Amino acid sequence: MDLNPFDVNNSVSCRLTSEIPEVCRTEDCCLGIDEAGRGPVLGPMVYGICFCPVSKKEDLKDLKVADSKTLSEPERENLFQTLDEAKSYVGWALQILSPNTISTSMLQRTKYNLNALSHDTAIGLVQFALDRGVQLKEVYVDTVGPAEKYEEKLSKLFPGIKVTVRPKADSLFPIVSAASICAKVARDRVVKGWNFAEDLGEVDTDYGSGYPNDPKTKAWLLKYLDPVFGYPQFVRFSWSTAQTLMDSKAVSVHWDDDEEDGEKAAQRQNNRSMLSYFGASAGGNDQNGTHQTHRYFTDRRLKSLNTL
Amino acid sequence: MAAKKKRTPNVQNDSWVVVAADSVIDTQKHDSDPAFVRLRNPLTDAASLYMLGSGDVQLYEVKAFEEDFHSWFVGQTVQRDGRLIFVTPMDPLYLILPYLIKSGKEGKFQPVDQVVMDEEFPACSRLLSCTRSLTSLHHIAEEKEVGGLKFHRYSQERTMNWLKKKVERTVTALKKRNISVGEGVKSATFIRVKPDADSHEEDYLRYAHGLISEYISEDLSKALLKHLGLPELTSPKETEPPSKKRKLSDQPVEAEEDYTKFNSADFARKPPKKMTAAQKTLAKVDKTGMKPMSSFFSPKVKAEKK
Repeated sequence: MDLNPFDVNNSVSCRLTSEIPEVCRTEDCCLGIDEAGRGPVLGPMVYGICFCPVSKKEDLKDLKVADSKTLSEPERENLFQTLDEAKSYVGWALQILSPNTISTSMLQRTKYNLNALSHDTAIGLVQFALDRGVQLKEVYVDTVGPAEKYEEKLSKLFPGIKVTVRPKADSLFPIVSAASICAKVARDRVVKGWNFAEDLGEVDTDYGSGYPNDPKTKAWLLKYLDPVFGYPQFVRFSWSTAQTLMDSKAVSVHWDDDEEDGEKAAQRQNNRSMLSYFGASAGGNDQNGTHQTHRYFTDRRLKSLNTL
Repeated sequence: MAAKKKRTPNVQNDSWVVVAADSVIDTQKHDSDPAFVRLRNPLTDAASLYMLGSGDVQLYEVKAFEEDFHSWFVGQTVQRDGRLIFVTPMDPLYLILPYLIKSGKEGKFQPVDQVVMDEEFPACSRLLSCTRSLTSLHHIAEEKEVGGLKFHRYSQERTMNWLKKKVERTVTALKKRNISVGEGVKSATFIRVKPDADSHEEDYLRYAHGLISEYISEDLSKALLKHLGLPELTSPKETEPPSKKRKLSDQPVEAEEDYTKFNSADFARKPPKKMTAAQKTLAKVDKTGMKPMSSFFSPKVKAEKK
C-alpha cells in the first residue's frame, strides 16, 4: 500500500486503489464496504471496499479474513499482505478522509454531518468500482444509521445490484471483513506516520488510541492546544472533545453564523425592536436629531473616527 | 456548539491596518512626520480624526471600514479588530469654512490666522499651512489686501458656487466609477438593455449633494440644495397616501348602513354574544387607523352603479 499520494497533502480526501483484477471485469462480482476510524478525535476516517468474483467468495474464507476488531495489528498487517497478494482475483480501493475534511465538512455553514459524509464516500467507492468495469452484482455494507433506510438508498442508486446492509456485516460476510482489514491497516499506518503540516518541532507522537476517552489522547490534546489556532489539522475540530477544550482554554472566536441570544444579538446589530415602529414618533425622529450618514459610507461600512 | 461565548470588549491596541495615499509617506521633503490630529468636524461640530501630512502640506481624512466578525493576521500576530483605516486626501477648505462663517457674522474683513483659532482644537491653525489653503481661500471668502497684509470675509455666494462645482465634480466621479445612485438596489451583474441615462441626472445630483453634505454644516447643506435647484425631499410620512379615498362625487353623502337599528328596543335587549378566547384577544387589539377588510372590496361596485 503506497500512502504517498495522501502524505503529499494530508489535508484533503485521497483515494488509493489496487489494480483491478481482469477476472472482475468479466465475472459477476461481490463487493464489501467498511470503515475504520469513525470515533476517534485524531486522524483520518478511512473507507475501504474489497471486491472479488462471486465464485471466489469461498476462497476468501480460506485466507482466514475475519472482523478486523478481533485481530491484532500484526495479524491485520499479515492479512492485508495476503489480500494484496491475491491480486489475481481480489481488488480493493480506499478513501482516506482527512481529519481536516471531516472538520470542514461538519463545521461549514451548511452542515454536512458524518453520516452523510460516510454514505457519500461509500457511494463514491461503489461508483468507482463500476466505472472501472467491475461487474458488480452484490454489495455488502456495514451500516451507518438505520440499516433499512441505508439499504433502500443504495438500492435506488445502484439498480440491478443486490445491496445488503447489516449491522456487524464485517463479521458476517468475508468480503466486508476484507474491506475492514484494508481500511483499518490504512488508518493505522496513516496515524502512525502522520506528517504534520504545522511547524510543531519535535512532535510527541504518544497520543494513544485517538479516541476521546483515552487519557493519553486527552493529555496530548491539552499539550498541543494553541490559544489562537486551536489544533494541528491532525485533530477533528468538529468533535466535542476538541471544542470543549478550545472553548475553555483558547481565545474565543466569533463567527458570522454563531448562534447568539436573540435580544443581545439584535442589540449588537443595532436592530430596532418591532415596537419602535408603532410608537408616537415613528419614523424620522429615531435618530434623535443626529445626522444620518450618507449611504455611500454606510453601504461601504465606512465610519469617521474620533480616536484611534 | 451550544456553549455561549462571552464577548469581551475591544482592547485598545497600538497598531492599525491602514491604507494611505502615497503622499502621506513621502516624508523626504519635510522634516516633520505625518501625524493624526483631532479637528472640529464641520458637520457634527465634534472632534473627528484627520491626518496632516509631513510639513502640514496636505490634509487627509481618516475613515475606517468596520464590520462585525473580522480580524487581521499581521505577520506573526493577530489583530483583534478587523478595521481597515483609509487615509485619503481632503480639501482643507471644508475644515476652515466653519471658522470663516462664524467670524463672517461680524461682517468684518479679518486676517485668517486670527479667524482659524480654536481653544478646543489648537491644531486647527496648522490647516493654514496646507498648500491649498491660502491659495484657495478666495473660493469661500472675499479678499482685501492692505499694506501687503491679506484680509478675508466669508462670502455665502462664493461658497455656494464653490460647493456647486464640488457637486458637479462629484457627479463626474460617480459616473466614471459607475456608482449606483438611484433609489433601490441595482445588481452589478444584471445587464440592462439600454442605459437609463438622462432621467437619473437628478439622482446623481442628489447623491453628490448628499456626499458633499458629509463635509459641511446642515444649514449649508440646505442652502446648497436650493442653489442646485433641487426641491427638498419630503419626509416619507408626508408622502404616504391618505388613509381614506376622497369622495369623487358632489352628491350628498348617504349613510351606507342603517344605524337606526341600534336605537330599537329590540337591539338593546339582546344579550351580548359570547366570544371565543381568540376573538377576545382580537378585540383588545388597537384598531385605530386600520381599515376593515371589507373596505377593499365595496367602493368599486358602488361606483359602477352610479
